[in-house]
Amino acid sequence: MSAAHRPAELLEVQGLSKRFALQRSLGDVVLRREARVVRAVEEVSLQVARGETLGIVGESGCGKSTLARCLVRLYEPDAGTVRFEGQDALALQGDARRAFNRRVQMVFQDPYGSLNPRLRVGEALAEALRVHRIVPDGDVGARVDALLDLVHLPRDAAGRYPHEFSGGQRQRIGIARALAVEPSVIIADEPVSALDVSVQAQIVNLFLELQERLGLALVFITHDLRLVRHVSHRLAVMYLGRIVETGPTERVFAAPRHPYTQALVAAVPAVEPGRRSRQAAVRGELPSPLSPPPGCPFHPRCPLAQDVCRRDLPALRERSGDWPVACHFA
Amino acid sequence: MTARMPRLRLPGSLVAGGAILALMLVCALAPGLVAPYDPIAFDYTALLQPPSGAHPFGTDQFGRDILSRTIAAATIDIQIAVFATVGPLVVGTVIGLLVGYYGGIADMVFGRLVDLVVTFPFLVLVIAIVAVLGPGLVNMYIAVGVVGWVFYARLMRGEVLVLRNHDYVSAGKVLGYGEARILFRHILPNAARPILVYWMTDMALAILLGSSLGYLGLGAQPPAAEWGVLIADGKNFFSQAWWITVFPGIAIILAGIGFSLAGDGVADLLDVKR
Amino acid sequence: MSGGPDPILAVERLAVTFDTPRGSVRAVDGVDLSVREGEILGLVGESGSGKSVTLRGIVRLLRANAAVAGRVLWKGADLLAASPERLQAVRGREIAMIFQEPMTALNPVLSIGTQIEESLVAHTTLDDAGRKRRAAELLDLVGIASAKVRLAAYPHEFSGGMRQRAMIAIALAAQPRLLLADEPTTALDVTIQDQILKLLLGLCQDLGMAMILVTHDLGVVAETCDRVSVMYAGRVVESGPVEALFRHPRHAYTHALLRSMPHGGAARQPLVPIPGQPPRLDRPVEGCPFAPRCQLVEDRCRTVAPPFEPVGPAHAAACWASDRLAMAEGTA
Repeated sequence: MSAAHRPAELLEVQGLSKRFALQRSLGDVVLRREARVVRAVEEVSLQVARGETLGIVGESGCGKSTLARCLVRLYEPDAGTVRFEGQDALALQGDARRAFNRRVQMVFQDPYGSLNPRLRVGEALAEALRVHRIVPDGDVGARVDALLDLVHLPRDAAGRYPHEFSGGQRQRIGIARALAVEPSVIIADEPVSALDVSVQAQIVNLFLELQERLGLALVFITHDLRLVRHVSHRLAVMYLGRIVETGPTERVFAAPRHPYTQALVAAVPAVEPGRRSRQAAVRGELPSPLSPPPGCPFHPRCPLAQDVCRRDLPALRERSGDWPVACHFA
Repeated sequence: MTARMPRLRLPGSLVAGGAILALMLVCALAPGLVAPYDPIAFDYTALLQPPSGAHPFGTDQFGRDILSRTIAAATIDIQIAVFATVGPLVVGTVIGLLVGYYGGIADMVFGRLVDLVVTFPFLVLVIAIVAVLGPGLVNMYIAVGVVGWVFYARLMRGEVLVLRNHDYVSAGKVLGYGEARILFRHILPNAARPILVYWMTDMALAILLGSSLGYLGLGAQPPAAEWGVLIADGKNFFSQAWWITVFPGIAIILAGIGFSLAGDGVADLLDVKR
Repeated sequence: MSGGPDPILAVERLAVTFDTPRGSVRAVDGVDLSVREGEILGLVGESGSGKSVTLRGIVRLLRANAAVAGRVLWKGADLLAASPERLQAVRGREIAMIFQEPMTALNPVLSIGTQIEESLVAHTTLDDAGRKRRAAELLDLVGIASAKVRLAAYPHEFSGGMRQRAMIAIALAAQPRLLLADEPTTALDVTIQDQILKLLLGLCQDLGMAMILVTHDLGVVAETCDRVSVMYAGRVVESGPVEALFRHPRHAYTHALLRSMPHGGAARQPLVPIPGQPPRLDRPVEGCPFAPRCQLVEDRCRTVAPPFEPVGPAHAAACWASDRLAMAEGTA
């Protein structure tokens, strides 16, 4: 899919970078060493259109959660732009920023930590409705019921506390809270990875259904390749803060072009007996984001690595007209 | 899941502690109703009487009834427990909430202040301030307040540092909630438990402190009855009349037990099953 | 069940009950398992299914409030009835264990080398120099490069995957005949999980060691195990060779679980979830514990627990709908 054929982008990110400076130790101060910097997200660009799901996959430390938090401005990026409906979202302040947040919501990973344990479910939903005056005060109760219906929770859930629910039910509550303010984009950061397999499927289906009904744009962040294949139209694979490959999900899965994507796809245990092998998909450990290797970040683990990979960072660009890959040899 | 859990089952420790404190409170608010004698009336016909039917706790060198004096002293001691701690509780909680949430320079300044305060023994610091201001209850409250809020603030700050990273706080920010709402509706209620428990202990400690200062002549002034003052009164007669010091001492211990039981109970009551 | 050598481990009617302030919880309810020499058995289930408790029950590594019943026959002798000395001799030496979070199982203040050598002191007669040499061999065996140098490293200097490798090296020090692996890759990234699973598979094959691999991931089972037992609500509901069980599940839960997994090739298709939640274990379950969530439920499922019966070669299931599943598979 080239840019010309795409519908109008709802959320557009250009060159986004986020770094975290680590606290200097006493030794560092004495020796006048600079604070060490984690380059969590490096020059990430992506787009999401209305009704579309972008899957972002990667392993721990690849920056996918930091990216999610930058998109909703829980973190302020160090460089780059985030445009929402063409408007520079990073420059918004005060009411305009609140209005932006109303449209771009987030669903969190931990269904236990993301709900205030002292608020009844109904109170938590009503609070979101009231703060943004989504409905007149008199209609709040009816809207809370409607939200619970939307995520398939019983209406009497409104009177109960989060600890009375299972993990999957809590995640439904988190989704209802995000939907309360009528967003057009939802950033879901590992929304099902804390749940059991059979419950994961329930939540994934809920996302698919809600997207269909409400026309939401969804950024679905996960480490689980099997899942991302099920939910996303397009896919972005991250490694050490950078996107290394991005394209239409099915086609990327069918013929991954970056050696890391290939390794990732091969490493996922298939629910398919009779494919037992002793050969690991990829060697080596994930490098520390504190000291990323020079050149291509994947070169120490890459079977194709040459001198150029150790020296030059490959740009993320379309090679031979398919989809963008950041590899000298793709 | 569908049946609502019975929400208020009071923990046993809260019931026991509450009962003790309620008894103290009755003594404190209406000593006249409970005390058999006038606590400051001299009775030269009954000097230094050991405990008996007429005087269950005995009498002192002026023939004053120790039971009545112990009861009357509750007024001042409970007052100390409350007045010496409420100011630090409120001020410390708010400051701890703010420095914990916002961090930055205020937090660094606060950190140094904590270092400064904890290096001095609390009692010595309070005595020094009272010595400057002059003895008396009000000056004691001021002295305790000037130092005491730091402990609440330190506790609160620690709680907030943990809670501010919880995703429900992040969710509040993403939902565009104002900072006051996040601080007071989402963080404060979840941080309240250790603060309230500490408050209970602190009230017991305040009574001990008030008694210590009373004993030293820096707190409540005679002839007002205060447990520390009563103990000080009896110290010269301890070998002949142990009851003058022992019964107010027991009252202090009982108050301490009451507060700490109530503290445990509050902790249980506010425990959210996660 | 089938011919072949006798199992080295046979678990019979294992039951574990935890006495908690809120009543007793029957976490494991009559589990039968068997492992033969060199075999890899997968023990799979969702959280709360009792798979980890079963594993710990085998070597009596349970908290004090646990009551254990049944038999655990290790080379024919019952470990549950064994003296503490006898148990100690088996545990760590003949049966070793690795855990989900190696950081909590490794001692943070001792170097990796010291911890491997400790294990060698306890279980071998090697002298000091021999132990040093063996420790380096073990690290090399689990795929840690420049093993000699790494012996001096401390656990915090290792990444998660390296720690799990070190943990495996310690477990291997005694040359155990059976390795109990409790979700050894759940905390790891997918490429590292892949490495560790392949390592474990290779070690079992090369050393002739048997393994019970506890996991919640059916994919892990498919790629690693010879046989698999599926647990639900404290019971084994189906047990059989991986190939047969995955291709022709004969318990409604296994069937539903396999269908709920995302399969390749079906982009943006709704998954087939299992409705509802697993039952609570603090009250007795009447009939089949899966009945309330089961699509194939019939009346007797709610009242009579189905017997655990053979449904094929070395394949058994406890499901009243077993025959219907077989027919559905046949026509599909």
